[in-house]
Amino acid sequence: MLSPKRTKFRKAHKGRIHGVAKGGYTLNFGSYGLKAQEPARITARQIEAARRAVTRHIRRAGRVWIRIFPDVPVSQKPAEVRQGKGKGSPEYWACRVKPGRIMFELDGVDQDLAERAFELAAAKLPVKCKFVVRWGEGS
Amino acid sequence: MAEFETISAEIRERAGKGAARAARRAGRVPAVIYGDNKDPVIVTVDRRDVIKQLQRGGIQTRLFDVKTDQGTHRTLIRDVHFDPVTDQPIHMDFLRVTRRTVLNVEVPVTFLNEDKCEGLTQGGMLQIVRNTVELTCPAVDIPDHLEIDLTPFNLGDSIHFSAVSNVPEGITAVIDDRDFTIATIIAPRGLLSAASEEEGETEGGEAAADEGGES
Repeated sequence: MLSPKRTKFRKAHKGRIHGVAKGGYTLNFGSYGLKAQEPARITARQIEAARRAVTRHIRRAGRVWIRIFPDVPVSQKPAEVRQGKGKGSPEYWACRVKPGRIMFELDGVDQDLAERAFELAAAKLPVKCKFVVRWGEGS
Repeated sequence: MAEFETISAEIRERAGKGAARAARRAGRVPAVIYGDNKDPVIVTVDRRDVIKQLQRGGIQTRLFDVKTDQGTHRTLIRDVHFDPVTDQPIHMDFLRVTRRTVLNVEVPVTFLNEDKCEGLTQGGMLQIVRNTVELTCPAVDIPDHLEIDLTPFNLGDSIHFSAVSNVPEGITAVIDDRDFTIATIIAPRGLLSAASEEEGETEGGEAAADEGGES
């Protein structure tokens, strides 16, 4: 699973996701992409599950690019612990995704295969997604 | 002299985001026509016409006659802005061109004979580094696309700008200090190593479960 190698601070504020993607909303590497339509926090586990769904479906024929990185540490308090006594310990990593963000890109496979692969990947993610193709290439 | 396609436009009375949003709600795309040392003209174009042109590909290499009530402008589409979420066109820039206009333009690259390429038939993958190449050329002589014949290339080969077969005379790439890479033919991971990092942990069990579930 993806996670930062080292961080300046162990714990981060929860934060809120406002607005739409300011960058990373166009295809940069592959011919096909999976674009988020809603704001959400996507965990490293979900990214990995989606990546596996894609690579398994395309039978490792093409190439997959992951355009998001989980750099937000999410903390949780243990079960049956009263409120207070400080913030919980970091449990997993997540990525804040804004609407419009291209999360995955894919190349080297047919459009039908890519569409199905991303359909499977989208099922692993907590956001509504859209399959995108470059303008002029079956869009 | 290149052929001009025709696109009809309506003059916009008001500028600004309020008017632009009203135009978008009415199914039109706000646009501006500028260049050739003349005053800019603000217009709107039918969104369906724009999408039709976008779907053909290479929209920035084709020349357009923009017809308005006040006359026709010979133009090139210089920029198209898209909504980040819906990918609908939200604004366009038309640049007026003349016979003398020379500009830098992004021309799409097309790859030919993929089925005859030895590297690809062996299971390699064409990894495109540049989908477009920026060329310096007269506005009336912009090539539709650049062609690269993939026949002579093998696994591991890099395809450079010198491999482009249809660069017209007098047209140069903006990057002229080196023979830059346009694509490479890479071996897919499955070909490089039989055992991948994920196989050991989950592939066997989950793959069987997945396939069972799907069927």
